[in-house]
Amino acid sequence: MSSLTRRNVLQLSAAGLATTVAGTSNLLAQDGVLKVGVVHQGPISDTGWEFFQARAWRAMEAAFPGKVKATVLDNVLQAQDAERVFRQLATQGHKLLMGTTFSQYATLRKLAPTLGVNCECCAGIETTTNLGVFEARSYEGTYLTGIAAGKMTKTNVLGWVGAFPVPQVIYNLNGFVLGARSVNPDVVCKVVWANSWSDPAKEKDAVNALVSQNADIVSGSPNTPVQGLAAEEKGIWAIGSTGDFSAYVKNKQLTSFELDWSAAYIEAARHTLAGDWKPTARWRGLGPDGFVKMTTQNPALPKEVLAMMSEKEQAIVAGKFHPFTGPIKDQSGKLRVAAGAPIADTDLRGIDWLVEGTQGSLPRG
Amino acid sequence: MSGVLISIVIATLVAGTPLVYAALGELVTEKSGVLNLGVEGMMLTGAIVGFITATATQSIWLGVLAAMLAGALLATLFAVIAITLVANQVAAGLALAVFGTGLSSLLGKGYTGTSLVLPPSPVAATVSQVAWVGQYLTQLHPLVYLSWLLFAAISYFLYRTKAGLVLRAVGESPASAHAIGYPVVRIRYLATMFGGAMAGVAGAYLATIYTAIWTEGMTAGRGWIALALVVFATWRPARVLLGAYLFGGVTTAQLFGQVAGIPVPPEVMSSLPFLATIIVLVLITRNRTLVRMNAPPALGQPFHANG
Amino acid sequence: MQYASPLIAVLLTAVFGLLLCVAAGRNPWAALYTFTISPVSTLYGVSELLIKAAPLILIAVGLAIGFQANVWNIGAEGQLTIGAIFSGGLALHVASDGVLLLPAMIIAGAVGGMVWAALPALLRTRFNANEILVSLMLNYVAQLWLSYLIYGPWRDPQGFNFPQSKPLVADALYPILVPGTRLNAGVLIVLVAVIVGWFVLKRTFVGFQLRVTGLAEPAARYAGFSTTRAIWIGMLAGGAAAGLAGVGEVAGPLGQLFPTASPGYGYAAIIVAFLGRLSPIGILFSGLFMSLLYLSGEAAQIELNLPSATTGLFQGALLFMLLAADLLVNYTIVVAPARRLQEKIS
Repeated sequence: MSSLTRRNVLQLSAAGLATTVAGTSNLLAQDGVLKVGVVHQGPISDTGWEFFQARAWRAMEAAFPGKVKATVLDNVLQAQDAERVFRQLATQGHKLLMGTTFSQYATLRKLAPTLGVNCECCAGIETTTNLGVFEARSYEGTYLTGIAAGKMTKTNVLGWVGAFPVPQVIYNLNGFVLGARSVNPDVVCKVVWANSWSDPAKEKDAVNALVSQNADIVSGSPNTPVQGLAAEEKGIWAIGSTGDFSAYVKNKQLTSFELDWSAAYIEAARHTLAGDWKPTARWRGLGPDGFVKMTTQNPALPKEVLAMMSEKEQAIVAGKFHPFTGPIKDQSGKLRVAAGAPIADTDLRGIDWLVEGTQGSLPRG
Repeated sequence: MSGVLISIVIATLVAGTPLVYAALGELVTEKSGVLNLGVEGMMLTGAIVGFITATATQSIWLGVLAAMLAGALLATLFAVIAITLVANQVAAGLALAVFGTGLSSLLGKGYTGTSLVLPPSPVAATVSQVAWVGQYLTQLHPLVYLSWLLFAAISYFLYRTKAGLVLRAVGESPASAHAIGYPVVRIRYLATMFGGAMAGVAGAYLATIYTAIWTEGMTAGRGWIALALVVFATWRPARVLLGAYLFGGVTTAQLFGQVAGIPVPPEVMSSLPFLATIIVLVLITRNRTLVRMNAPPALGQPFHANG
Repeated sequence: MQYASPLIAVLLTAVFGLLLCVAAGRNPWAALYTFTISPVSTLYGVSELLIKAAPLILIAVGLAIGFQANVWNIGAEGQLTIGAIFSGGLALHVASDGVLLLPAMIIAGAVGGMVWAALPALLRTRFNANEILVSLMLNYVAQLWLSYLIYGPWRDPQGFNFPQSKPLVADALYPILVPGTRLNAGVLIVLVAVIVGWFVLKRTFVGFQLRVTGLAEPAARYAGFSTTRAIWIGMLAGGAAAGLAGVGEVAGPLGQLFPTASPGYGYAAIIVAFLGRLSPIGILFSGLFMSLLYLSGEAAQIELNLPSATTGLFQGALLFMLLAADLLVNYTIVVAPARRLQEKIS
């Protein structure tokens, strides 16, 4: 059939070109340069989750000039595609693969033992053959922002715009409420679930809805400045939780912290270069090599509040204080963490309850 | 309590405005007999073009203007394929939706997650001084008020001017209109471009005013809802306005409901706008006579100038 | 000549793509290699091409049956999701293993897709509601339903509270055909669908009725072909195919349920259907080509550092070029001044 012949011609001429082109393709690894494959689920932007990952791999490249090169894919939305992409990266000379989100964790768990290269996954839980994991104790950051919120609220109503009720978001929320109630036991926090990691219109509506219910400080897990801008529009405080948006939210960002994954990327690259990489689980919060960094504090914060936050930060870094130290009760009044002892890590990783003082529910199974 | 009510009303008006623009634009297009399914693509492209322009020029109005041009341009592309080249309008519209979405993602590469922060307008500051209503008036951007003017202008144009009559005639029977000597193709082009320009405004409003931020796919299906709106408004501008605010209301209700503690799973609340579209669509179009009396009879049918 | 316009469209899109690459400062020959040869230069690459093409071809065949009858099913994405929900739900909650599990899942998936497609069909035949809009709205509803299930009742209790279901047992997965790849027995279903689709459309009376209904509805009605039946057959065919594709993802590359089941296959399949001229054999080729486009997009990111939005852009451009090429192939353009045309009419 004529159509088949024409198609064949196209393929043949392309094949002919291939021989001339093989030399120019960058499939061949240059000697001595470690190629690191990084796969983003969403688009890389100026703020938010993907931005922090991007900042980290750029820091990694900068820490080993000329020796480490990152090949980056973004918008790999689905697990099916992530699997193929990781495999392609592994077969094309990338000796270290970085997964950037928990939805890639299942894929990497499956692939890592078979691929023969080092793999790391952000927000993964357990290590396995060839797979290390790293995650931030962001609740340490939200606890500190909670202290600021508890002290600065005038209505005693806080607001939280949650994306999805996954453990990371839940323990962040709980940390926030615990921090606030540690300085102001009368505070309550209303929760709205946006059901999307990034839907600016809905996030803005959520903030407005919370304001109409008297919240005068809102926090959440924002990937964009929308929540902060919406709060500013209404004249209330916003908290840059896992993101410093003060470049956009000029006046009304109360306090903020960021995620800094550079340590994880740099350590993974360093060990791979030195040949002594081992699967490690890094779950770190505040501190010099940690993944949580407090950032811009609003000048309106009174000195004694800043002092309280700083004191708690030092205690956390020194290991003397754990934000989830009992007694902690959940919304129904049931005691979840015994008095005097900190919560176990495994309970945090799989947390599915909200602390007392939170108003709003979790979708139940 | 009244504070909450006012918040809900304002939120509803704001949420409905992009739908008003996009649906009114599509209404004019469809009245001329052209079915342009690519509204989602035109809205997204309008959104990113408006956002980029507003960021570069620090002026929302220039952004809106640029978005109108972008929307009209995409609509022209569709018009060339569907009107001049007489291709299947459904397929061409779908192609436009996909293409427009991809184009917006590409253009938006460097702008994802960035925010548009502009100094507060001095006009707004003056208006807000007005006693009683001032503070509420300024919560709505002028584009919201302009959308009402647009509605009035379109109603007047369609039903009280000769040009509007000709447009409707083209939609009802292009062959007759052509025989009388009206330039059917040109009128359809203009109507389609107008629809594209309005979709562009809707997108720009969403990206520069409603949220002041760009993220990929931020219209989240509003273009398709606008298409549905035109149908169940039975191609009457006043009903388009009502329908748009109905949607705006359903969309905001789910969030206010969550905060008020209504124990419905958030996914169910999020489905409401889409389910509501289906229900209203069914209620209106099951009356075939009503539809037949109001739908442009030549809608979606290609027009061959030489008979 | 029938297949000339897709080829012209492909070539035009290729030219458009190369121009884009040159404008972005890339070597066009390297780009050509990356886009066409590189993704399929290994056995794994070829198997991935087939795995990705399978749902596209399957859904497109089902949709084509409807499109030929002027029944516009835009809800394949939602029907795929419901197929995934039904089949996944069966595997997770009703049965636990056995040789019959997989066939039961396949049936459940097809039924799920058909149920979801029956809604727009019903609303169109009984209430005259536009099936484009209804099926499209149902896409969003289906997606939200899956999201609700995965974040809620179906969440894996051993899954550290991540939004995912329990992994499916081995009996619930398609057997792998080529070890070391992901190519599974699901592709056999696709082949069967292509053959059945072709047979129904080109060799049966029902197919003939559908095609006539699409080409000239008044004539079809005059001949006694029921439009209602055409709508039902068209929608259910698309729904069943999309539902089967849903099973294909769950019992195939996914192996469990996640908050989304499909990277937009339901929409891409519409383009595949048109590119294949609404004919199952043509769809076989256009599906493979579309799959190559996806893989090329990833290769372009890895090897050429091009942005990920390129894929969506190309798909849309392809459809536009196709519609333009259609005209060039099917019509002769006569350039004549307007007045002479008017004289011709009167």
